[in-house]
Amino acid sequence: MRPNALTPASIPTRRAFSERMAEYGAIDGDFVVFEADIGYSTFSHLFGDRFPERYFNMGIAEGNMVSAAAGMAADGRTVVASTYGVFITLRALESVRTFVCYPDLNVKFLSSHGGFTPAIDGVTHQATEDIANMTTLPNMKVLVPADTWAAKKLFDVALQTPGPVFVRLMRDPILDLYEAGDAFRMGGSHVLLEGSDVTIATYGDIVFEAIGAAGILAKEGIRAEVIDLYSVKPFDAETLLRSLDKTGALVVAENHQKRNGLGYELSNFCLKNKVVPFDNLGLEDTFAESGSYGKLLEKYGLSRDHIAAAAKRLLKRG
Amino acid sequence: MASTQDRNRTLDERAAFLSEKAREVRSRLVDMIYKAKSGHPGGALSAADIVTALYFDILRVDPANPRWPDRDRFLLSKGHACPVLYTCLAMRGFFGLEHLDTLRQFESILQGHPIRKTPGIDMTTGSLGHGLSIGLGMALEGKLRGKRYHVYVMLGDGEINEGHVWEAAMAAAKFKADRLIAFVDRNRLQMDGCCDDIMPMGDVAAKFKAFGWKTFEIDGHDMKTILGTIEKARRVRGRPACIVANTVKGKGVSYMEDRFEWHGKCPNADELACAMKEIWGEDS
Repeated sequence: MRPNALTPASIPTRRAFSERMAEYGAIDGDFVVFEADIGYSTFSHLFGDRFPERYFNMGIAEGNMVSAAAGMAADGRTVVASTYGVFITLRALESVRTFVCYPDLNVKFLSSHGGFTPAIDGVTHQATEDIANMTTLPNMKVLVPADTWAAKKLFDVALQTPGPVFVRLMRDPILDLYEAGDAFRMGGSHVLLEGSDVTIATYGDIVFEAIGAAGILAKEGIRAEVIDLYSVKPFDAETLLRSLDKTGALVVAENHQKRNGLGYELSNFCLKNKVVPFDNLGLEDTFAESGSYGKLLEKYGLSRDHIAAAAKRLLKRG
Repeated sequence: MASTQDRNRTLDERAAFLSEKAREVRSRLVDMIYKAKSGHPGGALSAADIVTALYFDILRVDPANPRWPDRDRFLLSKGHACPVLYTCLAMRGFFGLEHLDTLRQFESILQGHPIRKTPGIDMTTGSLGHGLSIGLGMALEGKLRGKRYHVYVMLGDGEINEGHVWEAAMAAAKFKADRLIAFVDRNRLQMDGCCDDIMPMGDVAAKFKAFGWKTFEIDGHDMKTILGTIEKARRVRGRPACIVANTVKGKGVSYMEDRFEWHGKCPNADELACAMKEIWGEDS
C-alpha cells in the first residue's frame, strides 16, 4: 500500500477485473461468463476473445441473463454475469434475489459503473442504490475494489468464495494505491492510514477522497485513521472496533445513497456495539446528474474537503 | 433408469397405463390442496396429463439419486401448480407420500412454490416468467458438458404475458438449444379471468415459431398425442421445441373445469367428495 504516494491508474477497475478474469480463465477451465451486450464496456470481451465457447452474450436482456446464469449454476457451474450495476441491481433484481440468492448459487456479478463513477452518462447509468439492494439480499456478499490491484485480487476472492458475490466496479481510472503482495480476503479491510482522532471508513472510489481528507486534517493536527472496507458485506467489524477504540469517532463516506448504504449499516452496528460520534456522507435522498466526476463529488458532498469538514464537526473543531 | 414404463409396450398400452396414473395424480393433488386448505387446483389439473406422462414415461430420472448428473430436467415454471409436481415426485418415490399432507405447512419440504431443496426439484420456480430462462441455462450447461439430457419447462399461458419469457425464447433460438422443450399449458384462463380478456396472446405457437422454435400444437389431455409429440420434439435438432398444449383448466373435476375462480381456491368437504367421485368414476 502506498497511500502517501498514489499514482494515476492506467485502467479502470472494470478493466482490471476483466483482465484478471481472462487470465484466470486459463487457471480455472470451468467457469463461464454471461454478458448483456456491453462486453466492450465491461471488458468481459477479453475473456470472450480467449474462451469463446465459455462466453455467452445474452443481448440486451438482463433479466434473462441472470435467470439463465442461475439455471446453469444450479447444475454446478460457476457463472460470472456481467453488465452495469443499475441493470443487475434493479432490472434483474428479482432474478438475483429469487433464483441466485435464495438457492445460494455460484453466480458472481461483474457490476460496472458503480455509484456516480459514470458521471457523464447521467443518472440512468449511475448505480447509486446498488449497495442497498445487494447487501439486503440473504447469501449475497459485496466487494468493492478501489484500484487496479484490488480489482484483480477481488476477482480471485469472488470466484473462490462459494455462493453469490457482487463486485462493484468503476467506469474510469482514478488512482492506484495497492501493490503486488497486498492481500485481500472476504470480510477483510485495509487500514490505509493510522490515526488516533477520527476513523474514516469508506470503499471504492471514495478511498482516495478519504486519503485526501486525512491530509487536510493532518495540517490541522488531526490524525485520521482511514480504513478501506473493500469487503462491504461481510464487513471487517474487528478492525473497525479496534480503530474506534483508538479514535472514538466515525465518518463513513460512500458513493451511494446515504439511506441503506454502508453508513446506515455501520451506524446500526455502532449503536449496538460502540456508541461514538458519527456522521455519514453520501447522496442525501437525491439523484445525481451528468457532469464531471470531480464536480459531482463537490456538489453531492463527497470530496475530500467535505469529508474533512465532517470529521472536524464531529470533533467540534469545525 | 428411469421411467416406470417398459419401452417394449405399445403406444396404446403406455397411454392406458398413464391415463390410470393421471387419475391417481388428480385425486391426490385435489386431496392435498383440501388438506392444506390452500393451493392452486385449476392449473395443476390442466397440466396433470403432461406432467404424469413425463414422470411415468418420458423423464430419465432416478428417485434414489435426485441429482444424478445425466438426468432429464423438469421445471414447473408455472410453479403455483406444484401440487401436480409434488404428487408425481412422491408417487415416483423421491420422498414419502405422507409429505403430501404437509403442503404449504410450517417446516414442510413442500413449500408453497417449488424450491431446489426438495428432493427431485431441479430448481426453484414459481415467480412467473423465469423458468424458461433457467431451463435455457441448464440446456446450455448440458451442451457445454456434452450431455444428452433434455430440459423440459412447463409454462402457463397466463405466464407468457411476462416479457422475460420472450427474452428467453430469443436466446434459446440463438444458442440452438435443441434439448430444451417447452410446454405451454394453454388452458385459456389466468387468475383474473379469460386470457383473451386479461391479455390476449393470440397464436402462441406462431409466436414461438417466429422466434425460431420448432412448434407443435396438441390436445394436452390425449396421452397418445402427448407421448408421440414429445418423441418428435426430442428429435428436433438445431433449435428448441415448443409444444402448445390445449387444455382445460380444472380438467377432471366438472365444477372446476373452465372456471377461473378455481385458479387458487380450495375445495370444501362436499366438493372434495364430489371431485373424488368424478375422478375415479361413479362406481368406485
